[in-house]
Amino acid sequence: MAKKWFVVLGVIISLMVVVSCAKKAVKEEPVVTGKAGEQAWGKPGEGAERAGVEEKSLQASLERKKYPGIEGEFLESSLLKDIQFGFDRYDLTPKAREILAQNAELLLKNPRAKIQVEGHCDERGTVEYNLALGERRANSTRQYLISLGVSGDRMSTISYGEEMPLDPSHNEEAWGKNRRAHFIILSR
Amino acid sequence: MRTYRKTMCILMCLTCTLISAEVSRARVYIDIEAPELQPLPIAIAPLRDIGSSRPDLDRKIMDILANDLTISGFFEIIPRHEFPPESEALADPPDYGRWSTSRAEALVIGGYASRGEQLAIEFRLFDLVEKAFLIGKRYEGSTKSLRDMVHRMSNEITYWITGEKGVFDTKIAFVSTMPGNKEIYVVDFDGHDLRQITRNGSINLSPAWSPDGRLIAFTSYIKRNPDLYLFDLTRSVQIQLSTNPGLNAAPAWSPDGSRMALMMRKEGNSEIFIMNRDGTRPKRVTKSWSSEASPTWSPDGRKIAFVSDRAGSPQVYTTNVNGGNVKRLTYFGSYNACPSWSPKGDKIAYCGRMDGRFEILTVNPDGTDVRRLTESSGNNESPIWSPDGRYIAFSSTREGRSRIYVMNANGANQRRLTSTQGKESSPTWSPRMDR
Repeated sequence: MAKKWFVVLGVIISLMVVVSCAKKAVKEEPVVTGKAGEQAWGKPGEGAERAGVEEKSLQASLERKKYPGIEGEFLESSLLKDIQFGFDRYDLTPKAREILAQNAELLLKNPRAKIQVEGHCDERGTVEYNLALGERRANSTRQYLISLGVSGDRMSTISYGEEMPLDPSHNEEAWGKNRRAHFIILSR
Repeated sequence: MRTYRKTMCILMCLTCTLISAEVSRARVYIDIEAPELQPLPIAIAPLRDIGSSRPDLDRKIMDILANDLTISGFFEIIPRHEFPPESEALADPPDYGRWSTSRAEALVIGGYASRGEQLAIEFRLFDLVEKAFLIGKRYEGSTKSLRDMVHRMSNEITYWITGEKGVFDTKIAFVSTMPGNKEIYVVDFDGHDLRQITRNGSINLSPAWSPDGRLIAFTSYIKRNPDLYLFDLTRSVQIQLSTNPGLNAAPAWSPDGSRMALMMRKEGNSEIFIMNRDGTRPKRVTKSWSSEASPTWSPDGRKIAFVSDRAGSPQVYTTNVNGGNVKRLTYFGSYNACPSWSPKGDKIAYCGRMDGRFEILTVNPDGTDVRRLTESSGNNESPIWSPDGRYIAFSSTREGRSRIYVMNANGANQRRLTSTQGKESSPTWSPRMDR
């Protein structure tokens, strides 16, 4: 059991390192107001060294954001990764389950964080059917996180249908990126 | 004397308008149900200025009228050089004999008068084949309502030629990304007078015009949830209506305006609900493990057509409003959606994917007689019927970015409605304003 945890911890730390490196290279999404990550997210873990690393990474990963035309700000963490879906599908691929397992770990370690799961679609198909599809994508994602032990009370869902593409291009690559579940942190 | 007689004649026609409407009944000159409709050749005489200092109004009125009749798809305007040269041909009443060699089968003779901000327009319609006077009407109002007055005139002429009033007084609302986000706009049936309706800066979707013409229901993400709002057109205010967590989307007014069908979340997926027009007492209509979307009412208010992927792909179904008697309507193709029930009840228009692109089709409510109305290089989506059931508005990417188009119900006469700087989608048609 302890060994398993150790492995998971190792995965998370290496993931954080990769992500924060990648982030520095990319630089920089617009931060609307406030200082990103001014507070530690959740409680530190038991080991001092581990807590230090995690806290620092989480802090560094948090970004304060706002969607234009939607009330309120929220936080986004590059450690809570998007998952992708097949065309007109809402079932979870093995890869998506892997990512969700990592997301669940983070959420379990930060039990106060309330998140929202966003379901998104590509531009193909009708606006309204895509709203329904986004709803299902968000829901199947949330259900899987619940099955991994994350409390349902902490997770709301929303469907944006095809209204918020990550990539506005009209090709397979863009569509693949746009069919996703995305995670935002509403409060912590 | 002649002038006096003319004036008398005009006065008579004004006073006789109603009487003549009672006595003679509109005759259907063209059958708009015919698959290959032959437009009726009509001549519009130069307007007479019967007392005004505004010679410019002649052109204006003529242009609006000719454009209305042309875009209706029911008329062919005879160019002036084809008119008989003799002035008697345009006398009131016309010398019918002079028209015998012309292609024109109907003639409009009209005049206008203006004083200050007041304007009067009148017309008389003649059947050149039967050599008969059909109808005369006069419209009075402010010069600001010139377009409305001419649209009413076009409605009337359409009534006398096709047996039903035109829809030139109606408007179409739609979504445009012109300001950068999706806002709702309104434009006249002839593409004029574009106006922005919502200005909330959010994502605004699926406008639906109320049957009384006063409200537009729509979904907006203002409060980080797809909530339902009403825009009150008379007071220009936005009212929050339904804010259940999850979808409050794709509103569809019942034909009597008392209720609304919409998509709402239930058990993690989207279902069709019906609620009162004030947002109270939502009642579930569909019960399935699949996604339900895009409700549309039958004109008798007893049935709803909707989209469901219960059979594995999005298809159009019908159900009684109590949820019973669910029937699948579309079988051909792997993606059929956005149904719209015609106001006469005889057809359901929808969009279906064919060869990778969406086309507009119609089907009878019993699933028979599938007809394809568009055949273009882009995606054609979101069909919506005009209140007379003679036209369908829809969105299409045939010219690049998505824009709104209007066609006759048989697919003929497809024209771009307007052109905003942005992607246009989700049209909804106003009821008749001229009632």
